[in-house]
Amino acid sequence: MEKSDEMVTPGEVLGRATELKAGKGAYVASQNNTIYASLTGFRRIQPPPPDSPDQRPTVEVTGHKAHGPVPEPGSVVIARVTKVMARTASADIMCVGPKSVREKFTGIIRQQDVRATEMDKVDMHSSFHPGDIVRAVVVSFIFSLGDARAYYLSTAKNELGVVSAESSAVLPSLFNFGPKHRRATMVPISWTEMQCPLTGQIQQRKVAKVVS
Amino acid sequence: MAAKPGSAPTTYSPNLGQKTRPPIFKDNDLDWVRPDGRGFHQCRPAFFRTGAVNSASGSAYAELGNTKVIVSVFGPRESKKAMMYSDTGRLNCNVSYTTFGTPVRGQGSDHKEFSSMLHKALEGAIMLESFPKTTVDVFALVLESGGSDLPVVISCASLALADAGIMMYDLVAAVSVACLGKNLVIDPILEEESYQDGSLMLTCMPSRYEVTQLTFTGEWPTPDINEAMQLCLDACNKLGKVMRTCLKEAASASQE
Repeated sequence: MEKSDEMVTPGEVLGRATELKAGKGAYVASQNNTIYASLTGFRRIQPPPPDSPDQRPTVEVTGHKAHGPVPEPGSVVIARVTKVMARTASADIMCVGPKSVREKFTGIIRQQDVRATEMDKVDMHSSFHPGDIVRAVVVSFIFSLGDARAYYLSTAKNELGVVSAESSAVLPSLFNFGPKHRRATMVPISWTEMQCPLTGQIQQRKVAKVVS
Repeated sequence: MAAKPGSAPTTYSPNLGQKTRPPIFKDNDLDWVRPDGRGFHQCRPAFFRTGAVNSASGSAYAELGNTKVIVSVFGPRESKKAMMYSDTGRLNCNVSYTTFGTPVRGQGSDHKEFSSMLHKALEGAIMLESFPKTTVDVFALVLESGGSDLPVVISCASLALADAGIMMYDLVAAVSVACLGKNLVIDPILEEESYQDGSLMLTCMPSRYEVTQLTFTGEWPTPDINEAMQLCLDACNKLGKVMRTCLKEAASASQE
């Protein structure tokens, strides 16, 4: 796979479009059919998959420094809920796929995107609490990508929803010093409920089904 | 000096007779000798370094003679201002001068148009559709103004963008030429810029041989325009090579 580890910079010629396909970090200039690099990195040539009709190898530039990930429609994101209102909840997107973002993006979960069934009977406060970590997917329908500032997120699948939440249970402290509230990570019981291990209190959330 | 009592008060009034500045070069064969001893078609040696600012996504520092510029790039990140939804990314540029950067303290605000000129020079080279709905912020700070400020800012900004991993069609190199009477002087310093009759700044993508921005000011005799543009294109090519070496050195240094 590593045919040549040559360092390239944006604008350098990588090859001809007749012999190679442009992969990540490269693009084809239509005027003269050449492939140029668009990032700084190492030039790698991937052999073509054996069953594809186009037998050209793919040339790509594996960047030594890629810019932070940007949420795209259809990507799974991890977000922390910041505000819960009557019909929407705001969340700060922290990770896109496996990578964490450099600076946070804002997402909005609308009432109709919380779950797939009985969408008009959703109570936002029984689905999310501020501080919850949720796994969601960026809505893919182009007109609903969001308003100018926020992305629309959806948790309407079994594996999406709250993955981690802290209980708001308050325990009386035995001593005069030390923290008065003890917060614990809640344990999921069903797809609508989570239980605090310290107090046994059950709270309602839209829980994500963790595939183990 | 205090006026003697009883004498007429000393006043000054402008000379209305002289409307045009007298020509600097009265003889045709008087040659301008460059203060730093360079040839007319010789640029200043360029020094570039990337990774100058740790907290930014990408950054670069450029020094050409006395002109020192540092550029930081942030992004792609959410746009703070409420803007229309756009399916391509946005570029936001800002060029500012330090108060100690110009010979007269605080006179950098004369160059408010540099921000929009930097934007026009860079937007043709960046693949905006690779970061839809987000913004890339480019902040340029001129630490010392020694002439040819904007070309140095543009070249340094394109290095910073490459350092930040923003996808671009090509690097952007910029060079300016000043017309001093009959002489064409490349990469003018501050003193030469104050005497110039006209100036040309050319910004191009050297590998693709495409010009992204062309700025002419002042008076230009027609045959000189062509020669000046050729000079600039050639210098941009060489500057492009210097910039690529800098990027490769920085990248291989970070690999180890």
